[in-house]
Amino acid sequence: MKILSKSNLVPFLEGLGLEFKVNAPLYEGQDVLFGDLDSSKLATDFIGKPRLSPKEYSFPQRERLFTFKNNGGVEIEAHLNETKRVIWGIRPCDLYGLKFLDMVYLSDYVDPYYQARRSNTILLGLNCNKAEESCFCSSIGTGPFAREAFDLLFTDLGDVFLVEIGSKAGKKLIEKQANLFTNATSKDEKQAGILEEKSKKTFKTYIDLGKVEAKIAGASSSPVWAEEAAKCILCGGCNWVCPTCYCFNIEDVTSGDKTQRVRYWDSCQLGGFTQMAAMNSRATQAERLRQRIYHKFSYNPDKYGGEIGCTGCGRCIDVCPAGINIAYILRRVAN
Amino acid sequence: MAIITKVCDEAAGIKTFTLEFKEPEIQKSFDYRPGQFVELTVFGVGEAPISITSSPVNKGYLELTVAAVGKVTRALHLRKEKDVAGLRGPYGNGFPFDEVKGKNILFVGGGIGAAPLRSLINQMFAYRDNFAKISILYGAREPGLLCFIDDLEGWGKTENSEVLLTVDAPDAKWRGNVGVVGSLLPKIDIDIKNTVAFICGPPIMIHFVLLDLLKMGFEEEQIITTMERRMECGVGKCGHCNIGKSYVCLDGPVFSYHQLRELGEDI
Amino acid sequence: MKRVLTTCEFCGCGCNFYLGVEDGKVVAIYPSVSHPISQGRLCIKGWQGHEYIHSPERLTTPLIKKGNRFREASWDEAYELIVDKFNQIRTRYGNDSIAVFSSAKCTNEENYLMQKFARACLGTNNVDHCARLCHASTVVGLATTFGSGAMTNSINEIAGAEVIFIIGSNTTEQHPLIGDRVLRAIEKGAKVIVADPRETQLAKLCSLYLMHKPGSDVALLNGMMNAIIAEGLEDKEFIAERTEGFESLKETVADYTPEKSSAITSVPEEKIVEAARIYSRSKKSIIIYSMGITQHTTGVDNVMTTANLAMLTGNVGKEFTGVDPLRGQNNVQGACDVGALPNVFSGYQAVTDEKLRNKFEKAWKVTLPPQPGLTLVEMLNSALEGSLRAMYIMGENPMVSDPDINHVEKSLKALDFLVVQDIFLTETATLADVVLPGVSFAEKDGTFTSTERRIQRVRKAIEPLGDSKPDWKIITELSSRLGYRMDYSSPAEIMDEIAKLTPIYGGVSYSRLESFGLQWPCPSPDHPGTPYLHKGSFTRGLGKFSPADYKTPAELPSHDYPFVLTTGRVGFHYHTGTMTRKDWALEREYPTGYVEVNSQDAKQLGIKNGQTAKVISRRGEISLSLKSVDTIAKGVVFIPFHFAEAAANKLTAANLDPVAKIPEYKVCAVRLEKG
Ligand SMILES: Cc1cc2nc3c(=O)[nH]c(=O)nc-3n(C[C@H](O)[C@H](O)[C@H](O)COP(=O)(O)OP(=O)(O)OC[C@H]3O[C@@H](n4cnc5c(N)ncnc54)[C@H](O)[C@@H]3O)c2cc1C
Ligand code: SF4
Ligand code: SF4
Ligand code: SF4
Ligand code: FES
Repeated sequence: MKILSKSNLVPFLEGLGLEFKVNAPLYEGQDVLFGDLDSSKLATDFIGKPRLSPKEYSFPQRERLFTFKNNGGVEIEAHLNETKRVIWGIRPCDLYGLKFLDMVYLSDYVDPYYQARRSNTILLGLNCNKAEESCFCSSIGTGPFAREAFDLLFTDLGDVFLVEIGSKAGKKLIEKQANLFTNATSKDEKQAGILEEKSKKTFKTYIDLGKVEAKIAGASSSPVWAEEAAKCILCGGCNWVCPTCYCFNIEDVTSGDKTQRVRYWDSCQLGGFTQMAAMNSRATQAERLRQRIYHKFSYNPDKYGGEIGCTGCGRCIDVCPAGINIAYILRRVAN
Repeated sequence: MAIITKVCDEAAGIKTFTLEFKEPEIQKSFDYRPGQFVELTVFGVGEAPISITSSPVNKGYLELTVAAVGKVTRALHLRKEKDVAGLRGPYGNGFPFDEVKGKNILFVGGGIGAAPLRSLINQMFAYRDNFAKISILYGAREPGLLCFIDDLEGWGKTENSEVLLTVDAPDAKWRGNVGVVGSLLPKIDIDIKNTVAFICGPPIMIHFVLLDLLKMGFEEEQIITTMERRMECGVGKCGHCNIGKSYVCLDGPVFSYHQLRELGEDI
Repeated sequence: MKRVLTTCEFCGCGCNFYLGVEDGKVVAIYPSVSHPISQGRLCIKGWQGHEYIHSPERLTTPLIKKGNRFREASWDEAYELIVDKFNQIRTRYGNDSIAVFSSAKCTNEENYLMQKFARACLGTNNVDHCARLCHASTVVGLATTFGSGAMTNSINEIAGAEVIFIIGSNTTEQHPLIGDRVLRAIEKGAKVIVADPRETQLAKLCSLYLMHKPGSDVALLNGMMNAIIAEGLEDKEFIAERTEGFESLKETVADYTPEKSSAITSVPEEKIVEAARIYSRSKKSIIIYSMGITQHTTGVDNVMTTANLAMLTGNVGKEFTGVDPLRGQNNVQGACDVGALPNVFSGYQAVTDEKLRNKFEKAWKVTLPPQPGLTLVEMLNSALEGSLRAMYIMGENPMVSDPDINHVEKSLKALDFLVVQDIFLTETATLADVVLPGVSFAEKDGTFTSTERRIQRVRKAIEPLGDSKPDWKIITELSSRLGYRMDYSSPAEIMDEIAKLTPIYGGVSYSRLESFGLQWPCPSPDHPGTPYLHKGSFTRGLGKFSPADYKTPAELPSHDYPFVLTTGRVGFHYHTGTMTRKDWALEREYPTGYVEVNSQDAKQLGIKNGQTAKVISRRGEISLSLKSVDTIAKGVVFIPFHFAEAAANKLTAANLDPVAKIPEYKVCAVRLEKG
């Protein structure tokens, strides 16, 4: 473990900027958003999470996959984005989110577009000393302090960051600017332990994951789906903000003799998601809501060795104009 | 990349396209099982999943039978011989073949939904001796929507095989059976115990035929069907096609009724 | 990636989000968490509705029609042609032979310039915009009763109300983020009453639902007031101190016993009484209404009657009480505020008032016409009849949005010369002689005013596509070429002029709008803006009870046309669909139009769900697929108006409210046949 004084964070990140594109949480007015490093806006003391997770650096909202020219023959040009990138300030829940996306996109059939971005990206985490109202990562076990899926992990100890090394790539980043770091003492590590315990006490949203896992398969006809779905205004927000939602739509955008194949984040809460010529395989909003929750807590674990498809970040709770709350639904499922 | 080598009208609003890969090596190595599908690109318009209707025994080309229902499929219908189209695949699991050798085979198809069945039926007729009795029940809304008329005639003439047709709404010339395809079921005479049934067609048809077959004494494992879901990627990533924990594009589109019941979502 | 904070270009909620820009293209959306309305949330249009910005179908160069076809032209050519034609027509037929259509989609600055262009450059008050079609009756009705024709509350107050009475507004679909506040109020235990001929989403979630007949609003509200007075539930103190005309109201509503009201509205008597009790017993009651109230020949009566109800119970002029017309378009409030109306300058200052006119004459250095100009539907009528010879339409598509499209088409074709400025070659633009390419909200600076009177910044994120230009720039260039110089270096400078001449915007300047804007009235640079109106006293002094009697809609169902057609929007599309129909996600939800019919009626007609129905009115017919539902009253059918191929407005009638001149979109008589 290493120590980086807070005043050295910007020099460290700017140093990385010589070799990498650096992304970090930034203050835009009072909003916190991931963006291209701008030290005057760097957010290090924010609580909770930016509204969108950093998943879009590996899986963007709108991504050109390839372009083809249709002039008699057809020429195809793929757009693989291999930008060397470091993202700083990733919350533990979002680290898990990326680990989950890796499982989806880098297993079986490997998605080349995701792989190109992801394999060139280094993840620097930032533990949470305090939870927001909607956070429930402590119930899922992904936070508030991360255990895995980072290259480096930062803990705010007040004047300094404790920095844990999670991979060779992470270690290399420190070695290159070794003069900025000192060695951590056991006292520092102990302090981090105390902070983690303190942080765990700040949670206001809980679920009982064990009970959910045991009961979810039998809850498919619970009234909770129709009751909650009745409020949904079909904004898709719960999907757009979710760090583990990976569904996409593909469209061809043609202008002149050039066609771009573009993929977009899609939303399973929209009826069109499953609309076919003859029928819709999920015709009611209740089925769609159930799909969202089941996908994360039942289908995903079934497919990916028990890994839950929810990080407990609570973003879908904050974003929902209808007040549909996944933690509430899961509590109903568990009982 | 493939070239359209032939286009023929199959039925009202339905055409069959014959395609060959532009690159001979790909054409040679392109192997598939009946029941699998390809993602077909109409350049400048988009992509759609389409079942392969030709059989692996027909080397050198692929046939796709397509109903014009929307953007891509309508654009495809405007394409002519020598035009190019994109193909990727084959995707999906395909029908069991070796596993059902020696058995009676019952096919129940409806409208364009019979496209994947045609692939399997032709494959079976190529190895006709490996199967006992083959019964083919096929229906459409109206006579003009019956596909694969030539094939049906050929199959019907083969020994130990029967073809029964029906339409919901007959026209003046129609002499055959009138009613849903399920109404043909009582007319066949087979030993159910040693039979495997393959059903493909619109969801409502599948639903009712399933019920009929169960009533007749078929076991859940003896009924094999294909599921259609909206698809984008074909490779288990885009999340559009799941039924419960299965992706139709990977684990389907062919399922036994037994498997379907295990998926955890109503169908 | 560059990020630019801006205001949503769709509805009047006024959400803010960041546009993510890469390589000069908008590729991502980030809702603003600290924005008072968005709070990190958006509806689907805000999240996903912006694909049109880079549509290959965008207009990127001026077009001039030759014969039946357009050819690309330079700006110089296009301007010269317009200048020639406008000058010829003006010389021959006078100033009032030209009219301009301004746009509720465009910025305040552009609307201000457009009315200035009409008045100062062309010398006519013939300027109007689509507010005529949605809330003209609000502007008149609330001005008469309260003195100010705008939403009295702030959106956030709705979440704090104890009773919310929603009449003629499908809030969760049309104003999703206001729907959010209603849902939050419900969660906190508020009682919500919904009156609507269609059982909307909120109707299913509310405490009391009244399915009244289209066009029977006055009877319903009068019935409620009758019950309130009968049970002594009126706020006597408020009536005495803050209002006038109570006796005449009492007299009028005395007639509307619950029995009578029930007979007209077909709402059961006890529900009318219950609604009256719930609404009047709370001291934090808010009325929300929208086009279901305004788009009638009795639109002004409807609006005044809602105001009467609020005053009767003292539910206005305090926090968490009020009357809230929800304005549809992103900037329909602003377009009205800055004077894109035939009878007023910016800030609702009457053109007929000599003192005010002199103020503008001095500032603009011209003589201005003293008589009010033509309203929108009147313009079209005058075009057909020949007194109007040329039109300049900015960012509107009357060929889909206006009532009785066949008539609109005839009118526009009758013009000698038509200029259309738009971002797409709309159904209207195809009729033009010259088409000028404007830009989307992402390509220009400016301000929009949301339904809660919040003036907010629109910020330029990308360069104009091709040769297109910001609309404000086009207006200034055209005006200068026509001989009235307009020199502004930026929209900020235009806002400074607006502030100088417009008391309600008096304290507004771009530097003050940085943190999510200001709510007017904001008369001076040190004024913090006004969250809710009529505190202490009404804008007009005393609130004026303005009773109205129930009048039947202009077109009633008959033997030949037995159904009442009502029209509206769906949550996934905007108006004529020129923008939203270019987006895959929105288009996928609603690829085309449909007619919603009560399932019993559908059965009787012998038309099944999904089959094609022909809908025929006295003016036209359209074919579209039938949706059989239980959520609409028997005898009523609904068609969304977004879809040009099944244009609901081929059927609607241009029957107008006598004062506000708003057409009755919400009621016309039709017949259905198997298609
Ligand atoms: C495994 C599989 C095999 C298929 N085999 C055939 C076949 O052999 N012949 C044939 O004619 N059709 C087949 N289909 C259906 C065909 O894929 C759709 O009709 C086609 O994708 C519609 O595309 P479009 O662009 O023309 O329509 P759109 O303009 O996109 O839409 C038209 C209608 O088709 C539905 N639709 C759109 N995309 C899909 C999709 N990816 N999957 C299902 N429905 C969709 C839409 O919801 C809409 O109702 C198959 C579908 C699947 C999943
Ligand atoms: S489902 Fe909700 S809480 Fe879980 S990861 Fe997604 S956004 Fe976060
Ligand atoms: S965020 Fe809420 S309202 Fe929006 S789609 Fe999800 S559940 Fe529905
Ligand atoms: S609610 Fe209105 S302003 Fe907000 S995102 Fe939706 S359309 Fe835009
Ligand atoms: S089609 Fe994309 S997951 Fe099956």
